[in-house]
Amino acid sequence: MEKGLTVRKIVIAGVLGAIAILLGVTRLGYIPVPTAAGNATIMHIPAVIGGIMEGWGVGMIIGLIFGVSSFLNATVPLFKDPLVAILPRLFIGVTAYLTYAGLKNVNQYLAIGAAGFIGAMTNTILVLGMAVIRGYMTLGVATTVAITNGLPEAIVSVIVTLAVVAAWKKLGSAGRQKSKISGDL
Amino acid sequence: MSAEFELTRNITIGQYLPTASVVHRLDPRFKLGAFVILILAIAICDTYVGNLFALAICIWMFQISKIPLHYGISGIKPAIPFIMILAIMQLLFYGEVVNGGTVYLKYGFITITSESVRLVIVSAIRFVEVIFLSSVLTLSTSTTELTHGMERLLGPLEKVKFPVHAFALIITIAVRFVPTFAMEMEKMMKAQASRGADFGTGEWWRIIQRTKDMFPIIIPLFNVALSRAEDLILAMEARCYTPGAARTRYTQYKAVGKDYVALIVSIVISAVMLAIPW
Repeated sequence: MEKGLTVRKIVIAGVLGAIAILLGVTRLGYIPVPTAAGNATIMHIPAVIGGIMEGWGVGMIIGLIFGVSSFLNATVPLFKDPLVAILPRLFIGVTAYLTYAGLKNVNQYLAIGAAGFIGAMTNTILVLGMAVIRGYMTLGVATTVAITNGLPEAIVSVIVTLAVVAAWKKLGSAGRQKSKISGDL
Repeated sequence: MSAEFELTRNITIGQYLPTASVVHRLDPRFKLGAFVILILAIAICDTYVGNLFALAICIWMFQISKIPLHYGISGIKPAIPFIMILAIMQLLFYGEVVNGGTVYLKYGFITITSESVRLVIVSAIRFVEVIFLSSVLTLSTSTTELTHGMERLLGPLEKVKFPVHAFALIITIAVRFVPTFAMEMEKMMKAQASRGADFGTGEWWRIIQRTKDMFPIIIPLFNVALSRAEDLILAMEARCYTPGAARTRYTQYKAVGKDYVALIVSIVISAVMLAIPW
């Protein structure tokens, strides 16, 4: 982890992990899209937001929590395979963070939106890629699912990420953060 | 309609059934280790008899942990339609891809071979096995025990600078906050509904409408969560919590004979499962 975990990183990862679990168990994290893979998901969004706000380490941990909870809650055999459910999810927060870090000097809003998009795409492409490798789907089915599920996922991801992170950042790093010493610890 | 607001009732996370069986009393470190070994074996095993054997073992585990089998079955029920659809898809479109095996049926683009039939049956059984196994684990182990066990198991990773304690703390925070956020979410849904917003009432094919309905819940949820996080950060820093500092533990685990037996039994089961050639 970069420079170790601060209290801030630990707590943000825990709380966003809780949202990932909650969206899974209440089924609110699913967009009902009638396709072979069942539903599209928005549960990768906490990982994206964690990656943007606190770096790739936090993003990876939230991705892990999301992966494990989707593995435990799965109703489809596809996601009862740890290689499909857990491994690809680790990279959602990482790619989102890298996108954000690369673009944030150009334009904050562009960077946040792009991170949301790339994070969602990472989830779609890696999970479906793994599903093809492990033999649950053929390449054709996977491509169809990538379009019917992946695109709505990416759009929702961009909207929610932008709304949450922009609202959070606009209020100023010292305005919303209650602790004044977090930066020094 | 009203049922959709009752989020807290449906949260079964950390559901624990104290029947004080031998499985409940196992050292959580060994229980987790045995669980991981069995799951890996199930993920690799792709033979008929091997999977039937594993299924029998899973049912036997319900017996020895004194947990009624319907707890496991209730986890499978909602999945049956998905399993059926996926099985049909695999059966119809998978024959071309799997190499080897005898061809049972070839009609246009539909090819059914013995290999694709095996894939369908094995992945259905595998699914049932994993559900059963994870229900036994979570029903016989409290969340505190699980996190403690995980922290100890990952202990050796401290050597390569992996923050094991921090990681266990993150999991604890996450599990702790799930019911809190469920309550917050319930409140927000009721608040929005009382102002005339309707969600969950749109027809299922109006996907865009139903997706839009979620935004007034999801976005405030993140905001509430982040402001709660700020409170917790402040509270922890005020109490001088230092990540990575050396600390002592309240619970101490000591492995006894039955823990080693459990681990050895799970290794033997996995070996048998993978050794069965059919």
